[in-house]
Amino acid sequence: MDNISEEDQLDRRLRDAAPYIDDDGFTARVLQQLPAPRHARRSLRGAILLGVTLLASVLAYVISDGGRFLVVAVARLTTLPAFWLLALAFCSGILVMAGGLVAAVSKTRELQS
Amino acid sequence: MELTDADLVARVLVDDDQHAFGELVRRHQSSVRGLLRQLTRTDLALADDLAQETFLRAYKNIRSFRGEARFSTWLYRIAYNSFRENARRRKEFVGIDEEHLQAEHDPQVADPGLRHDLMHALSLLPLHERSAVLLCCQNGLSHDEAARVLDIPLGTVKTNVLRGREKLKRTLAAWGPN
Repeated sequence: MDNISEEDQLDRRLRDAAPYIDDDGFTARVLQQLPAPRHARRSLRGAILLGVTLLASVLAYVISDGGRFLVVAVARLTTLPAFWLLALAFCSGILVMAGGLVAAVSKTRELQS
Repeated sequence: MELTDADLVARVLVDDDQHAFGELVRRHQSSVRGLLRQLTRTDLALADDLAQETFLRAYKNIRSFRGEARFSTWLYRIAYNSFRENARRRKEFVGIDEEHLQAEHDPQVADPGLRHDLMHALSLLPLHERSAVLLCCQNGLSHDEAARVLDIPLGTVKTNVLRGREKLKRTLAAWGPN
């Protein structure tokens, strides 16, 4: 019992003997050496993706004779019965939702690991 | 309400929030620098260099922090590894402690900057006992946590703490009542 209290006393003295070290610019020096934040790199990647998408859209528009294929596709859709249109909209919604879910789950796993 | 370490880590992970990381550095700089000062036997410049390296490594590898241990325990592990790698580079790691132990008993060689007898006595311990005592007795880690930080078996940590404590008591007793 005495031995335990003696150990406690020694531990307490050890803790008391360790002085608090003032930051004194240490944190600032560490922060200065950190690499650039990822969101800066991410925004550059986003800009590149957007640029490529715009360029591809313009090319597709020019090559497809002013987007005629779109006009044809929309014209076909208008001839479809209302039930099929509803089913198509429903399936598209499910597909987008599933994609969102997969992305959310993979991001959560990544953060948990 | 003050954010917990886990909240701050989550902000760093999700938003790469460097302010949140700065807060983590502010919170833990004293204990990490204190540990490294004791490990390097109060070589303040080296200890601070290693502390900076510790936090930079922590930032770069923060995705490997799984939250199973406390953030401070994880930092101590990085700090101890940085110290060990540096010591290996300087060829001071293996077998040097006993030599130093003898040398530092000589008051001419002892560091005059040490204000407290206890800290001086601690600095005289061999590295394996000193690191175990520092982590368990001074920084309040459990034996299990210290075993993970030092990457040695649990039984070895317990033995090192026990022996370190005994040596500290004997040294302090030999120096007279405090």
